[in-house]
Amino acid sequence: MSALKKYSYPIASIRTAACLLFLGTALFPMVRPLRAQQFSDPPIKVKIDFNRWHDVNELYADIRRLQQAWPKFLKTEVIGKSFGGREILMVTINNPDTGAEGSKAAMCIEANVHGNEIQGGEICLYTIWYLMENYGRIEQITRLVNERVFYICPTINPDGRQYFLEGAAGDARSGHVPLDDDNDYQADEDRPDDMNGNGVVEQMRKNVPGKGNFRPSSLDPRLMEPVPAGEKGDYILLGREGIDNDHDGQVDEDSLGGYDPNRNYPTGWQPNYVQRGSMDYPAQLPEARASIDFLFAHPNIAGFQSYHNSGGMILRGPGAESAGEYPAGDVRVYDELARNGERILPFYRYLVIWSGLYTVYGGSIDFTNDCLGILSFSNELWNEEQYFTSPALKEQQKDPNSPIRGRKGDFFFNDRLEFGSQYLDWKPFSHPQFGTVELGGTWRKLQGRIPPRFMNEELCHRNMAFTLYQADEMPMIQMGEISIEKLGDHVSQVQLDISNPKVVPTILAKAAQNNVVRPDLLTVEGKDVEVLAAGWIDNRELQKVKPAVVARIDQKNLKRILVRSGFSGKTTRTVQYFLKGSGEVSITYSSLKGGTAIKNFRLP
Amino acid sequence: MFMIRNKQYFGWKAAGAVVLTLFALGWTTPAQEEPKYHNYAEMTRLLQNLASAYPQLAKLETIGKTIEKRDLWVLQLAGATGAPVSERPALLIAANLEGDHLIGSEISCSLAEYILKNYAGNPTIKQKLDRYVIYVIPRVNPDAAEAYWAPARSWRRTNAQPVDEDNDGRIDENGPEDLNKDGVITVMRVKEPGGPYMVDPEEPRLMKKADPKKGEKGEYTLYREGVDRDQDGFIGEDPPGGVNINRNFLHDYPSYKAESGRHMASETETRALLDFLLAHRNIAALLTFGESDNLVSAPAATGRLGTPKKIDLLEMSDASLAEAGKVGIFTAATGRFGRFGGGEMFFSEEMMREFSQRSQAATAASSATRFQRPAVNPATVMAAGDVEYFRAVGARYAEMTGIRQTLTAVKPEGALFQYGYFQYGIPSFSTPGWGLAEAARSGGPPAGPGAATESGPGTGAVRSGTFAGRRMGGPPGAAAAAGAEGQAAESAAQAVDRQLLQWMDKEKIDGFVPWTRFQHPDLGEVEIGGFKPYAVVNPPAARIADLAKSHADFALYLTSLFPAVKIAKLEAAALGGGLFRIKAEVENSGVWPTCLDHAQTARAVKPTLVQLQVEPESILSGHEKSNSVPVLAGSGGRSRFEWLLQGKAGQSIELKVVSQKGGTDKRSVLLP
Repeated sequence: MSALKKYSYPIASIRTAACLLFLGTALFPMVRPLRAQQFSDPPIKVKIDFNRWHDVNELYADIRRLQQAWPKFLKTEVIGKSFGGREILMVTINNPDTGAEGSKAAMCIEANVHGNEIQGGEICLYTIWYLMENYGRIEQITRLVNERVFYICPTINPDGRQYFLEGAAGDARSGHVPLDDDNDYQADEDRPDDMNGNGVVEQMRKNVPGKGNFRPSSLDPRLMEPVPAGEKGDYILLGREGIDNDHDGQVDEDSLGGYDPNRNYPTGWQPNYVQRGSMDYPAQLPEARASIDFLFAHPNIAGFQSYHNSGGMILRGPGAESAGEYPAGDVRVYDELARNGERILPFYRYLVIWSGLYTVYGGSIDFTNDCLGILSFSNELWNEEQYFTSPALKEQQKDPNSPIRGRKGDFFFNDRLEFGSQYLDWKPFSHPQFGTVELGGTWRKLQGRIPPRFMNEELCHRNMAFTLYQADEMPMIQMGEISIEKLGDHVSQVQLDISNPKVVPTILAKAAQNNVVRPDLLTVEGKDVEVLAAGWIDNRELQKVKPAVVARIDQKNLKRILVRSGFSGKTTRTVQYFLKGSGEVSITYSSLKGGTAIKNFRLP
Repeated sequence: MFMIRNKQYFGWKAAGAVVLTLFALGWTTPAQEEPKYHNYAEMTRLLQNLASAYPQLAKLETIGKTIEKRDLWVLQLAGATGAPVSERPALLIAANLEGDHLIGSEISCSLAEYILKNYAGNPTIKQKLDRYVIYVIPRVNPDAAEAYWAPARSWRRTNAQPVDEDNDGRIDENGPEDLNKDGVITVMRVKEPGGPYMVDPEEPRLMKKADPKKGEKGEYTLYREGVDRDQDGFIGEDPPGGVNINRNFLHDYPSYKAESGRHMASETETRALLDFLLAHRNIAALLTFGESDNLVSAPAATGRLGTPKKIDLLEMSDASLAEAGKVGIFTAATGRFGRFGGGEMFFSEEMMREFSQRSQAATAASSATRFQRPAVNPATVMAAGDVEYFRAVGARYAEMTGIRQTLTAVKPEGALFQYGYFQYGIPSFSTPGWGLAEAARSGGPPAGPGAATESGPGTGAVRSGTFAGRRMGGPPGAAAAAGAEGQAAESAAQAVDRQLLQWMDKEKIDGFVPWTRFQHPDLGEVEIGGFKPYAVVNPPAARIADLAKSHADFALYLTSLFPAVKIAKLEAAALGGGLFRIKAEVENSGVWPTCLDHAQTARAVKPTLVQLQVEPESILSGHEKSNSVPVLAGSGGRSRFEWLLQGKAGQSIELKVVSQKGGTDKRSVLLP
C-alpha cells in the first residue's frame, strides 16, 4: 500500500507544480480544497483525469484517494495476486446505513482480463468517482447507491495492464505464465525486441530496388501493399522487429505467455485443441481463481459486467452453440436490457457471443450466467465508427475518393485530430542479422482498440450508464397489500401481494435448471401459528370470480416454502395462506439476489 | 524381511527406551500383521516407514492438503543411478479417488513395498527402477476414505466439501442414519399398496421392479436407511460430504450432477493431482484404481468403453430422491407478464411464444454476416489408431492378474483416467483392482449387455426427466407413472445384484444384511436390509497381498512399453570446401509411440525435438536446426535427418533429442 501512497503525490504535484514551489511546502493534502471551484459546475471533491491511461500504480492510487474521500462508502480489498505478484484490487461500494452488503443485490464489474484491453479500468474508476461525487446530488444516483452494492475490479489482469502500458509490444492480451509456443522445450525464449528503443515493436522492411514484392500503397504511402503479378516492387517485409534470441533460425517465435485469460473459466471449458489458449485446466490462472473465489463468496451478486475491447458490442452468452440458447424467459430479460443498452451506446450492437462474434469456450460470462446464475454482459468497448460520427460524414465515407474512406480515414484522423502522434513512419535501422533495414509502418499500441484519449470520458460515461441501468434493474422483492379474512375459530385466510418491479427475476431460468442458486424462501413465523394450506394467485381480481385458479403449493413444510424457480421480473403475485392461530405473524420472502422483504401483521 | 530384522533388533535391546518401542510399533508391515485396510494415520505411517527404510529408492512428498487437512502423499520410486528423474519416463499410480474404493489404496501401497523390497534381489525390477520412475498416490480422497472407520459405515464416496445436495438452503442436514444400530447403512423397504417394487421371486433377498404388463403387482417402496430429519418429505437427501474426485476431472465432466462438484476441477484434491501431472510431463502412463474399468473389459474396437454395472437395489432406493432437487419449481407461473388464470392460459402462452420467437429471431439475425470459425469438437471416443494399444494391455492385464470380470462398474464421467487419455494424452487405465476369475457369459456383463445399467430405474428416470420419483407419502399415482421407465431393465434387472450375492455366498462374505423389521418414525413399519457398504467394492483384506503382487508385475510391465528414444545413428562426411554432410537417425525402441494419435490431435504431448547444436546460419541445406517430430512409432520406428553444414574439420557437432515421454539423448560427432 505504501507504493500507492507514494504515487499519488507526484501526480498532484505535476498539476500544481508552480503552486507548490510558491508555497514551498511538500505537504499537499490528498484531497484538494475546493475554494477555487466554488462556482464551477459541479463542485467536485476528488479530481481524476479521464483523458489519460492509468498504469496499475496510478489506478490504485486514485482508488485510494477516492476511498479516503468517501471512507464510509468505499472499501478496498486484495482478492488475490497475479502471476507476477501484483495485487488484484476489488472496490466495494456500499452504504452501511441501508443494510449490510449481503442483504442487497450487488453489481459486479470487472475489467481488463485481456492485458491490452485497458479502457475498462478507466470506466471502473469513473464509475466509482461518479457514484460518489453525485451521491446526494442526483436523486437516481443516490437511490442506486442506497439500494444496491457494487463490487468493482478495475483490472483483473494487472500484469497485463502494466506490461501493456510500460512495454513496447502489442502482445499484451495474454497473461504472463510462460508457455512453450514453438515446442522446443523452452518457454518465452524468443520474444519481440524493441531494437531501436522507441517504445514500439515495429515492422521491418528492406529496400531492394526493383526486386521486392511489396510497395507503398496508393491509399497512403505509409502503408505497404503486395505488388500485383507482373509488376515490380522495391521492398520485402521481414516481419516484426526483433532478432533470433535463441539462435534457432527463427525470429520472435516464442512470445510472452501465449494463452487467453478469458478462456480459463470453468463453465464449458474445453482443452487447448478445442479452445486455443484455455490453459491446462479451468481456474488454473491465479487471476481467474481470485475472481471465481470472490464471486462464489458473494451470492448477492445479481449482475455482472466484464469490460473488453473492441468492436462496439454488448455481448451475452452462450459462448458456444453447443451450450444451447438460454431459456426463453432469460432471453426476454437480456433482450430488454440490451436493446436499451444499444440506445445508451450508439454504434454498439447487442450480440450473442457464439453467433455474433465467435465461439468462446470457458469465457467468464458463461461461468457467471450458467454456474452462478448472474445476469451477465460483456461490453466490447469502442469501435472505429466513432471517428466520424455525423450522418453527413458517414455518407461521405462511401465515396471512394473521400480522404476519410476506409483505412484512409485512420490516417486522416491521425494527421488532423491526433496530430500525427499515433503512426510511426519508416526509419532506417542497422539490424545485426539483416543488415540495413527500415523500422516503422506501425500504429502505436493505443490506436485502434482504444479510443483517442479525448473521447474516453464519453466512453466511460455511456458504458457506466448502461451498467448502472443493469444494476437498477436487478431484482428487488417488495411486499404489497395484505388482506386478512377470518374464516372461523382461529382460522384465517391471508392474501399478500409480493412483487418484483424490476426487469430481472430473482433466479434466472438457467440457474433454476442448473440448481445453482439457493431457492427463494417464503417463510411464516408466529407463535403457535400453523399453515394449513398455501397457494399462488396471479391475479386477485380473477381469483375473486374464479376461486379455483389458485396454484396449490405442494410442499411438506409450508412454513418454509422453497421457491426454486424464483420471482419473475415486473410481476406482482399474491400468496394465499390458510393459517391457524392468532397474534403476531410475519411473512418473509427472502431471495439471495433480490433482497428480503417482510410483512408483519396480526391474526384476529 | 527388513522389517522383521528391525523388530528383533529392538526386541533385543528390550524395554529401555519407550520412544524406540513406539517407533517399532509403527514399523509393522502388512505382511506380518493380520491383513487389513488402513486408515489415514496408519497409511501415512506405512508410507513414511517405506521412505525411511529405502532412502535410496523411495521419496515421500505431499502434493496438497484436503479440506480436513490430510496430506495427499506421493511416493516416488526411482533407482539412484541412471538419468535424472525428471527426464525418465514415468508411471503414475493413483488410487482411492472414490472414497469408498479402499482396495486400490492397499494395492498401491503394497505394490510399492513389493517393488522396493525386491529391487536389490530382482534384476528386472532393478533395471526398470533405474531407467524409469514410478509415482504412487495411494489415497487421493482421504477425507472420504476415513468414513470407513466411522461408527456407522455409509456409502460415502465424497470429500469434505460442504454441498447442499438438494439445494434447499441447508447443508448436510439430512444424511443416512443407522437406525437398527448394526454399524452399516443399508436399505429400507416399506410395504405400500401400489408401490413400484416387489420381492424377486427367484432370489427373495433381492427386490425387483414389478411389471404390470406381466401381471406383477408392486407392493414396496425403497429408501436408503435414514429418517426425514428436516421434515421435507425426503430421506437422506443431503448427506455429509460433497465431491467424488473421480467425477471432478475435465473430460466428459458431469456438470450440475450428483457428487461432481460445483464445477470441473473445483476440488483441492483434483487440482493437486492436475498440478502434479502438469509439473511431471515425463509421466508416460497412468494407472488408476477405481470403480470404473478399461482393463478388465478393454475398450471395444470402436474405442468405446464397456457398459457400467450398477447395483439395482441401490438405484431403486435412490429413485426416492429423484424429486428432491426439484421442489419449488412453479413453472406455469413464471414469465414476464405473469400468468393468466383459467381460460386465459391458452392466450397467454401463445402470446409468450410469439414474443419469444420474435426476440430470438432478432438476436440471431445479427449473426448472419459474422465469420464463424470451424468448430472443433472434443473427442468422445478413443482414436482408432490408439485402441489396439489399450486392447493389448487389457489382454495382458487379464493374463497377469487372472481377473476376468468386475462385479460392478461405474460409468466414467469426469474420471481421472479419462482425462489422462483425452487431455493429458497418455495411455491411461482404470481397474477396480479385483474381480472374478471367470469371464462374463456370452461376452457381456451377465444377463445381457448393459441393459440393466443403462435403463435401470434410477438412471432412466433422471435422463428422461419424466419420471416422477417417489416422494415419501406422495400420491401413489406418481409411482405408477414410473412403470414404463423400468421396462427395458426387466431382462437384466438384478443381474449385478444376483451375481454379487452369489459371489458373497460362495466366498462366505458377510456382505448382505437380511431384511429385519424396524419401527420407523416417519414410515411406520419397515424392513431394513440389503448390501453392506464397502463389501461390494472391496474384497476381503486377505486378498490384498496377492493382488499387490500381480499388480506390481503389471505396473512393471507397463513401464516396459514406454517409448524409448535414442540417437541410433550419427555420422559426418566431408564434402570439401568446408562443407560437411551430417546424417542422423532417431529411433524409438520402446513399444508405444512417442505420442498417441489422439495426443497429436489434442496437442497434448510435445513433438520430439531433434536439434543440431550449431548456429542456424551454418546450415546450408537439408533439415532445419530444430525439428519437431510429431510421432516416432514404437518397436523401432525411425526418423531420418540430413544437414549440409559449413564447418571446420575436427569440430565437434552435438545432436540433441528430447522426447517428453521417451527420454532424452545426446550424441556428438567430429567433422572429419
